[in-house]
Amino acid sequence: MAQTAPDSKQGASPSMSLDEARVLPSGEREFMLDVRTQDMELNMGPQHPATHGVMRILLRVDGEIVTGAQPHLGYLHRCAEKIGENVEWLQYLPYTDRYDYLSSMNNNLGYSMAVEALMTGLEIPRRAQMLRIICAELNRIGSHLIAYGTYGLDIGAFTPFFYAFREREWMMALFEKICGARLTYSYIRIGGVFNDAPPGWLGEVERFCDVFEQKWVEYYDLLMENHIFVKRTADVGVISREMALDFGLTGPMLRGSGVDWDLRRDMPYSLYGEIWKDGAFKIPVARGEKGSLGDCWDRTWVRVMEMMESIKIVRWCLAHIEPGPIIGDVPKVLRVPTGEAYVGIENPRGELGHYVVSDGGKVAIRVRVRGPSFVNVAVTEALMTGTLLSDAVAIVGSTDVVIGETDR
Amino acid sequence: MLAVTETPLAAPAPVGDGNLVLDLLTGLRPESVPLWAVMATSALIAVGLAVALISLIAMFSTWMERKVAGHIQCRYGPMHVGWHGWLQPIADGVKLLLKEDIIPKGADKVLFVLSPAIVLASLLGAMAALALSPNFFFADIDLGVFFILAMTSTTTIGVVMAGWASNSKWSLYGSMREAAQVIAYEVPLGISLMVPLIVAGTFNLREASAAQGGWYGMHWFVFQNPFMLPAFLLFFTAVLAETKRAPFDLPESESELVSGFLTEYSGIRWSFFFMEEYAAMFLYSAVGAFFFFGGFESPFTWAVAQMAPHTIDLGETIGTLKLLGEGSLLHNLVAVATIVVKAFAGVFLMMWVRWSLPRIRIDQVMTLGYKYLTPLSMVCVLGAALFELAWIRFFGGAS
Amino acid sequence: MNATAKYAKNVWDGLKSSLVGMQITGKYLLQKPITVQYPLERLPIPNRYRGIHYLEQEKCINCLACARACPIDCIEMDAVRHGKELEWVSFTLDYQKCMFCELCVYPCPKDCIHMGTEFAFVSYDRSEFKHDLLSFKGMAREAKIRMLEAEEKKKRKEAAKAAGQEVADEPESDADAEAES
Ligand code: SF4
Ligand code: SF4
Repeated sequence: MAQTAPDSKQGASPSMSLDEARVLPSGEREFMLDVRTQDMELNMGPQHPATHGVMRILLRVDGEIVTGAQPHLGYLHRCAEKIGENVEWLQYLPYTDRYDYLSSMNNNLGYSMAVEALMTGLEIPRRAQMLRIICAELNRIGSHLIAYGTYGLDIGAFTPFFYAFREREWMMALFEKICGARLTYSYIRIGGVFNDAPPGWLGEVERFCDVFEQKWVEYYDLLMENHIFVKRTADVGVISREMALDFGLTGPMLRGSGVDWDLRRDMPYSLYGEIWKDGAFKIPVARGEKGSLGDCWDRTWVRVMEMMESIKIVRWCLAHIEPGPIIGDVPKVLRVPTGEAYVGIENPRGELGHYVVSDGGKVAIRVRVRGPSFVNVAVTEALMTGTLLSDAVAIVGSTDVVIGETDR
Repeated sequence: MLAVTETPLAAPAPVGDGNLVLDLLTGLRPESVPLWAVMATSALIAVGLAVALISLIAMFSTWMERKVAGHIQCRYGPMHVGWHGWLQPIADGVKLLLKEDIIPKGADKVLFVLSPAIVLASLLGAMAALALSPNFFFADIDLGVFFILAMTSTTTIGVVMAGWASNSKWSLYGSMREAAQVIAYEVPLGISLMVPLIVAGTFNLREASAAQGGWYGMHWFVFQNPFMLPAFLLFFTAVLAETKRAPFDLPESESELVSGFLTEYSGIRWSFFFMEEYAAMFLYSAVGAFFFFGGFESPFTWAVAQMAPHTIDLGETIGTLKLLGEGSLLHNLVAVATIVVKAFAGVFLMMWVRWSLPRIRIDQVMTLGYKYLTPLSMVCVLGAALFELAWIRFFGGAS
Repeated sequence: MNATAKYAKNVWDGLKSSLVGMQITGKYLLQKPITVQYPLERLPIPNRYRGIHYLEQEKCINCLACARACPIDCIEMDAVRHGKELEWVSFTLDYQKCMFCELCVYPCPKDCIHMGTEFAFVSYDRSEFKHDLLSFKGMAREAKIRMLEAEEKKKRKEAAKAAGQEVADEPESDADAEAES
């Protein structure tokens, strides 16, 4: 075999001459032809069907094999944090909707709780807490439905996407009834919530839960158990326990690697501690059922299972909700006492942290957001190298990034 | 040319039994026009008919695909152009014709323009071997299936050319995948078709269909041999891969390769590829119907064939016309309806599969083709042959 | 699991799960779609819907509370004050900027700015998105009458002051009666 000049060797393409065969663990001998080709640079994105928005991944490919990947962020940067230093406390609320636009309720909750942490003496009424949790969990379902649907789309199954959107539509109609918006809710505000639930709303949530539980079985059978889907996702993009911790992954990405960590249980906020003590919900942690622990299938599995757990939390709240005030004693012109606070909550995508600093004025000194997508997406670079091009798509999909949040 | 049968071309023949177009043209021919011109004209008419057939099939299939996809996904699909949007394909056709025809700057212009033509032309060629009824067909080819398989795999050349000529990385990926996939799946496709061919003993579509006429028109090959159903499943899977349908739509996989080899195409050129895809689906479904599900034969066809013959005289130029009975006009019409319904049932099945399953990865496509379909189809062929032998040995005569 | 069993299991799993998937999709194929044919039929819009604003202009006192509450300053208003009465020049809301957050609605002291259920807002021109919420320009008829009354009263008061007399309350009740009629 003719040897090519060493400088033409690019990337990590493993190549050797015919006679030096690699011995695989199974005892087989693997031969590789000594054909060195130049790697190709491939721009996946910013406009690409699989990047869930405007993320750009610069791939270096050797045929179908990815030899290097580099995610480029920042195409959707909107200076959210800087805006936080320029508008009043309450006025920043609508902006929190917009970083992870699929789970606005949770973002509202995170920001509100961060500000409330500074406001000593402010008590949030129980009904407001309940409404907050119902909305946040419904929103978690909606967000996971999108993750499930678009992941199906990435893998090439179109229909689950539409089924997921069917239920999500209902969820959005519920939100539309309670707060008037379908995507950017701005519902949970500092001190409570904006509106009380309209009459009949809680009953409708109950009906939604009933129907959703039936449909959920279909989701599971249609995609999760599908042989092709399993083959496409199992053993692909494996994140080991250590790697997950090293990269600082949170949320389903972390639990998909078998780490049992959920802020709702481990650092309980709002009423979650009480709900957990009541045994109303469990934390699904992947077990590596279809392949090795921490593969794409496990991550998707965690998301799909979490939808059911959220339904259980919603049901608990529906059973325990009582009439009462919906907002605590918040002055009209909000002046937050001096201090700083960090509050992390369990967003559908992981730990959403808000760090706020106040000097006692009407405007924050600093608002810092720890977006889970931003941290989670970093792992794709390490996972993609050495996989096939189709796997690269599957890996990006399984991180479930929302570009609005990575870039903010 | 519609309707060519055993009768030599030159001899005047009755309708449904000979070449209608050629006969008519010969009858009307003034002395000054040479015979070859007449034959060329009739050939052109046949090509026109084939093109019309392909576009009709493509139009109906696109409408059907949208409807099937829509209803599977709890929506309606097109609803506004005509009743339930049945005129939508025409509106789309007009739109595609009027669209700007874009040839990318770095593209190889000749190949870029040529490849849709090659794709469509090879499919047209394959269409020639398709028989629409016992007496209506374009060309009666003894190696009919063989010809169809050969011609349809030529489309790959067009696709590879398209991918190369587009000068786009995504297109190149698409066409490379297509080439690999077609090579991998031609083998199981051919081998799984061997099973009915063993039973039928012929490559000719019409003859294969005629061999399934017993049992009140239900003596289909699937019921004749226990290895036929697995063979059909293998054939169906291979056809999905051949026609680039999901779960094997890797050449144009949307979420990975943007649009695969179609990325740079637009307007009417793009629609050529589209027409090819749907026409190929129809063609392969028809082949499947011929060799597994009775071809023209159904209880209806059988009933019409059993009717007492009835003919009417239509004057000298045309001759007599058989209305009822075997080989008559009604028989042919029912046969056409049967095969069209069966073929579209196959197309429907492909659509149903497409909208239910995720996409396979390229290495799995290869694994499936080489490690699963090919050996399994060989087992089927072996089993079917042994079964036939045993049947002949113990019961005497074919099953 | 040995290789043959694995092979057979793969074939079986592939076939079975495909059939399960097709069964689910087939079930929906036969059901009625859930699509709403939008321009022909519409979903009911809940009355809390945050659509395009409307203003109860008679009540509004031009206090600018809504404009201050808006995070992106998309409310602009202009009115000339005649004593207590307002002559409206403009009250515009820039829908290119507005994010329908409803923050402008809560601080209003007179509860006169609301968000409606209208949401379809299409235009060929960006400038049209600067929407004027005023239902009339200038002054309402009643306001004008009230203003004239007030002016008259003031004049009379001045005149009375000049004459060193106190004015009775009669003219005011007159004006009320007129406004009601
Ligand atoms: S809805 Fe929000 S953005 Fe729009 S005008 Fe009111 S406060 Fe401003
Ligand atoms: S807050 Fe109410 S009263 Fe004040 S200007 Fe706005 S709409 Fe008018």
